[in-house]
Amino acid sequence: MFARLTGSKVLTEEDLKPVLESMKQHLMKKNVAKDIAERVCEGVGESLVGKKVGGFQSTNTTVRQALSTSITRILTPKTSTDLLLSIRSKLSSPLTSTQQRMPYSITFVGVNGVGKSTNLSKVCFWLIQNGFKVLIAACDTFRSGAVEQLRVHVRNLSMLGTNNGTAGRVELYERGYGKDAAGIAKEAIAYARDNDFDVVLIDTAGRMQDNEPLMRALAKLVAVNNPDKILFVGEALVGNEAVDQLSKFDRALRDFSSGAGGMGKGRGIDGMLVTKWDTVDDKVGAALSMTYVTGQPIIFVGTGQTYTDLRQLRVQNVVQAILSD
Amino acid sequence: MVLADLGRKLNAALSSLNRAPVVDDKVLDALLKEVCAALLETDVNVKLVQQLRSKVKTKVKATFESTADKAKETNRKQVVQKAIFDELVNLVDPGVEPYKPKKGHFNVIMAVGLQGNGKTTTCTKLAVHYQKRGFKSCIVCADTFRAGAFDQTRQSATKAKVAYFGSYTETDPVAIAAQGVAKFKKEKFEVIIVDTSGRHKQEGELFEEMVQIGNAVKPDMTVLILDASIGQAAEAQSRAFKESADFGAIIVTKMDGHAKGGGAISAVAATQTPIIFLGTGEHLTDLDRFSPQPFISKLLGLGDVQGLMEH
Ligand SMILES: Nc1nc2c(ncn2[C@@H]2O[C@H](COP(=O)(O)OP(=O)(O)OP(=O)(O)O)[C@@H](O)[C@H]2O)c(=O)[nH]1
Ligand SMILES: Nc1nc2c(ncn2[C@@H]2O[C@H](COP(=O)(O)OP(=O)(O)OP(=O)(O)O)[C@@H](O)[C@H]2O)c(=O)[nH]1
Ligand SMILES: [Mg+2]
Ligand SMILES: [Mg+2]
Repeated sequence: MFARLTGSKVLTEEDLKPVLESMKQHLMKKNVAKDIAERVCEGVGESLVGKKVGGFQSTNTTVRQALSTSITRILTPKTSTDLLLSIRSKLSSPLTSTQQRMPYSITFVGVNGVGKSTNLSKVCFWLIQNGFKVLIAACDTFRSGAVEQLRVHVRNLSMLGTNNGTAGRVELYERGYGKDAAGIAKEAIAYARDNDFDVVLIDTAGRMQDNEPLMRALAKLVAVNNPDKILFVGEALVGNEAVDQLSKFDRALRDFSSGAGGMGKGRGIDGMLVTKWDTVDDKVGAALSMTYVTGQPIIFVGTGQTYTDLRQLRVQNVVQAILSD
Repeated sequence: MVLADLGRKLNAALSSLNRAPVVDDKVLDALLKEVCAALLETDVNVKLVQQLRSKVKTKVKATFESTADKAKETNRKQVVQKAIFDELVNLVDPGVEPYKPKKGHFNVIMAVGLQGNGKTTTCTKLAVHYQKRGFKSCIVCADTFRAGAFDQTRQSATKAKVAYFGSYTETDPVAIAAQGVAKFKKEKFEVIIVDTSGRHKQEGELFEEMVQIGNAVKPDMTVLILDASIGQAAEAQSRAFKESADFGAIIVTKMDGHAKGGGAISAVAATQTPIIFLGTGEHLTDLDRFSPQPFISKLLGLGDVQGLMEH
């Protein structure tokens, strides 16, 4: 009786189909990869078939709400994104009398030109602000100017990074070009350990995910040095490639790092840093594609070309941007 | 091969047409759905894909209605195939001839584009390309912003044995660009390539700087360097670059990866500007010439039906 009055009805696949189709188009316009847009919409559809909707609520709004819930869930980190906490707890963990304290190490990986070196420098700035002593390891020994690029950043950061006297500091560890990146990273970590650095930031050369020799070399660096965090750097500009980049970086690291260095099990990506956020307006769908593929959190967002252009992801803002017309 | 995946999918869609007994609306819709899905997976702009779908439909319907022999299914199939082929070609071929450097002249080429898309690398590749073809070539580094930019140019130009100009102390890119081009003109260089900082439409000042560099060096050709992996932001960014820098050519980089460059195709459509080269790796000679016709034929594996299409 009431049901008829308020016009409530049970949602069928037919009701949902056109709405979901336009949702999918909408997500793709927001730069969500096609595959991910489809899977997200499928999930939303499945959650709604057979659900009752009230008369004042159109199918449209119901789907929209379900979509909002779904992408919020995908974007919400499942593991801690508190890097400072993670660093502090490693640095303050008890040691036996014979053990030497090891620095916390973070490796930045990703395809060419996405912003690894620049955002590594931003993370460094942030760490210095928080009073840490940071060593940057120049492990891109391939690309022209890669070492000098970091040298300039270290020079700038040494001048900038004082925090009311309780200053952190920064130094560059470099061995020029053409050398084995895994070896340099290893030396850098040892140098940091012996010279009382808290954190080592390891810059690596950009590489294409299908380039097996280069992916093996990266996996070797990971296997030999077992960094505390492997950060995948991807740009908000990337389209459907986001899916392929992340799944292949993760898989290659896992597959190739398990055998090579004898560390036992392979290591994959621990989190993402999404750069060039300032270049895409509200087309922030890459963030959704990236988190969907890995299930790992976005630890930082890069929002520009200066040292302070580093943010934490605001899930609600991203959801709003993706849903907005 | 570049775009091989897309080609395979489009091809499969088209050959499904040959298996259909009659070509009616349903068959056409199903075919277009597959073609559009293939395009969307390569990052071709969503609106462009929708447009392509409706253009093909309108064309096909108009032809069907105007021709009397509706009974002839093979004709109808050809009509559909040709309509799709033409619209695909339109996507990558704006029908504009790019600038060609002339021997014995100054040819100033300016590279512009988003951050990290491969400008500096491509400038060296271009210099190597023209040098090999007998042009006295050089590079001017007018990027005073990115850390280590001049070192990057210096090292890669040295590796390539190409002349270069830049400065560690001058902070005004307009001044450097003007100085460098003047110097190389005096020294009778023929291809003078000006590398600029990465920038994006959201920062007006950066665009203004690009305009000023352009005014200072008066490029014969401005080239937009675009990363093959770019998604739906391609259209808006390339439009903005077109308005400010009026580039006359596009080079799509990083085609050696898995990306299919649909975003770059959207940039062509949005700006009616031709692609001239594809970047296919990090090394100095990883540069392929691009021309739309063979590209589309190869893409669709159309070598054998080319004759059919040209009617
Ligand atoms: N607009 C914008 N530009 C950025 C951002 N992060 C980095 N960039 C720019 O992107 C370009 C490439 O940055 P790099 O840090 O050199 O990139 P990379 O990944 O280290 O590059 P390779 O080492 O060559 O693979 C530079 O011009 C940076 O200034 C960002 O968040 N926003
Ligand atoms: N795999 C591959 N990498 C490329 C290609 N072109 C450039 N790169 C790489 O992309 C990265 C960025 O290239 P750059 O030439 O520094 O880009 P840019 O546009 O000058 O960057 P900014 O000056 O910071 O805006 C480097 O790691 C290059 O080696 C290509 O065709 N294929
Ligand atoms: Mg780098
Ligand atoms: Mg550059």
